[in-house]
Amino acid sequence: MSKKLLLAAASVALFSISPALAASDTDLEALRNEIRAMQSAYESKIQELEQKVETLQTQQSQTAERVAATEPAAGNAVPATATRQVNDNSFNPEIGVILQGKYQSFSENSSEFAGFAVGEEAERGEEGFGIDETELNFSANVDNLFRGSATVALHEHEGETEVEIEEAYVETTSLPYGLQAKGGRFFSELGYLNSHHSHADDFADRPLPNRAFLDSNYGDDGVQISAVLPTEIYSEIGGGVYRGDDFPGGGANGGDIGSWTAYGRVGGDIGDNTSWRLGASTLQVEGGERSANEDAVIFNGDSGLYIADARMVYAPTGNNAEQEITLQGEYFYRDEDGSYNDMDAGTGDVAYDDHQSGWYTQGVYKFHPQWRLGARYSQLYAGDVPAGLAGSALDDGGHDPWAASAMVDWTNSEFSRARVQFNREELAGGSKDNQIILQYIMSLGAHGAHAY
Amino acid sequence: MRKLLFIMAGMGVLFASPSPAFARLNVFACEPEWAALTEEIGGDLVDVTSATNARQDVHHIRAKPSLLAAVRKADLVFCSGASLEIGWLPILIKKAGGPDVQPETIGWIMASDYVERLGVLQQVDRSMGHIHPEGNPHVHLDPYNISIVASVLEDRLAMIDPDNAAQYNANLDRFLGHWQAMTKKWEADARALKGQNVVVYHNAWAYLLKWLGMDIAASLEPKPGVPPTASHLESVLKSVEGKNVKAILVSPYEDEDAAEWLSSKSGIPVVHMPFTVGGNDNADDLDGLFSETIRLLKEAQ
Repeated sequence: MSKKLLLAAASVALFSISPALAASDTDLEALRNEIRAMQSAYESKIQELEQKVETLQTQQSQTAERVAATEPAAGNAVPATATRQVNDNSFNPEIGVILQGKYQSFSENSSEFAGFAVGEEAERGEEGFGIDETELNFSANVDNLFRGSATVALHEHEGETEVEIEEAYVETTSLPYGLQAKGGRFFSELGYLNSHHSHADDFADRPLPNRAFLDSNYGDDGVQISAVLPTEIYSEIGGGVYRGDDFPGGGANGGDIGSWTAYGRVGGDIGDNTSWRLGASTLQVEGGERSANEDAVIFNGDSGLYIADARMVYAPTGNNAEQEITLQGEYFYRDEDGSYNDMDAGTGDVAYDDHQSGWYTQGVYKFHPQWRLGARYSQLYAGDVPAGLAGSALDDGGHDPWAASAMVDWTNSEFSRARVQFNREELAGGSKDNQIILQYIMSLGAHGAHAY
Repeated sequence: MRKLLFIMAGMGVLFASPSPAFARLNVFACEPEWAALTEEIGGDLVDVTSATNARQDVHHIRAKPSLLAAVRKADLVFCSGASLEIGWLPILIKKAGGPDVQPETIGWIMASDYVERLGVLQQVDRSMGHIHPEGNPHVHLDPYNISIVASVLEDRLAMIDPDNAAQYNANLDRFLGHWQAMTKKWEADARALKGQNVVVYHNAWAYLLKWLGMDIAASLEPKPGVPPTASHLESVLKSVEGKNVKAILVSPYEDEDAAEWLSSKSGIPVVHMPFTVGGNDNADDLDGLFSETIRLLKEAQ
């Protein structure tokens, strides 16, 4: 009680306006000290209380959390403790646009593959400035089991704007046992590059064997099933059946299965910094009628393509975002039994039963998060031709086509990339084509993750 | 018809995984901190795979074959969420994830769904850099978030593996008891850090700094996900001059050149933080991670 009185007196003394009423200096000092002592006592009390409240609050929230979390959830549903932001447009499909532009310069006027009759997409493109290919992609989960995706590509060919449905498929997202099914039109799992869109490539153009044997991409209408197997290292098998209309198929009447594919893969890690994948695959076209070299060459018959692919990714510092070395290669072998007709050379139908092959290998070094260097070499072997095809497009004239490429690219973010590439292509005897390609690839809007 | 049934039965035998009653739960953790938490709560009853290690930038991971194999056998997928793993996790799940490890199922925990996220943006545009509209996904460096997520994890493990529910519960109680005591200790140790400023490389430190009452003076990245540029570093240097900045925080996966440059010009020390479990020799579990984090911040001079 006396303390309180003293405090009251002190307050009056301290805060009174009239200095005349002030007590002596020593008295004041004593009072001040006392107040300070009381203040610090209160402060520590308050701190103690605050801490108690905090502890209680955390305990309470954790108890609430646990009580809520232990309530039985219906079926597979998530307990209702999750807070998730819901956007108004979350049911709209993800929309992405890929803008690609090129400037190309070639030292040779024409470019023919010695010994090969190739499709439209195998050609080297047009000189000068051009918008290469504009891709529109729409994709979304259809429901809990299906995902749908459509990619429409717009490109110019000889002055006409062409609209191409590159892919339009539905796929399952949550089948058990590592199974996945896909139906519609899509790029088949064949080798490494085939299932990838060109905007994800490490070079401005596809390697020679992909151009000659698959017309850059084999994408057909059909169904494909795959299974990731329950093994320690990664292994996957799969296959599909198709209409057989896309190169190297063609002329499918739709009443039968025109082509089928099968593949198997294994992969894994070596230590923390290296990953690898090996694969084997085949594409079989039965009884197709394929037109090539701008409809000048027709092949009728069975065509079996076998591919082996390998890929290795190494991160020197352990962090792929910083530095990365990627090595990749594919080997192609095509066995054909049927007849070729080169109308330009006037050969008529000539029986053909032989094989062609080709390979490429490439390395890309990311030496800085935004900069990469790459080199690639590709080679084709046309094989022998029967006498009836001598002098036709199928006659390689003793020359095996090859191409060497070097590129450097700059990636500002995962949505933009600019590239300079030099090619030396000797696709036919006497043809020494030096090419310069400048390219940009930009991605607007939604952009799905890229596979390994 | 009978033939078809035989084939289907054969496929079933071929693809069926061993009965879960005899097998340990397989947990696929995207980051080392969640793998470490799973080991605390799951103990011997779980096998946990961490998709990444402390030296890797989780934003940029390849959907590599070994991760497909790991997702293929996962009973639970446990990640940070908020789009942190958007570049690779969806591919793995689509290709190899079964019906029990899909979004919105009990085999799916995105830690950031359960805590109060910082930096949730109303308006986003890609010119802002690599940002996450859902908010900052690096939620693990706040011990209260760890407590919350530990409870969610215990709950899910018990639902997936009800036979061992009592064990998971006991593990959680033991963990939380210890964790709350440690949290008090760290808070007491870090009291002097309150109000201090630091420079960061990428804003992966928001939750830690908020917990400790510290502030970010500047980021070395001009925009999230965009590597430092010379002009941006000059402006950072100007902005920190005269300010009382305690340290430049760098995680094991971040390039230290920019931090060293700023340090040499400004005299502010570079502190190599563990960031996650395995980030340095002492941060070999969650306890070690937080103890090291507080120690390094306090020792920075």
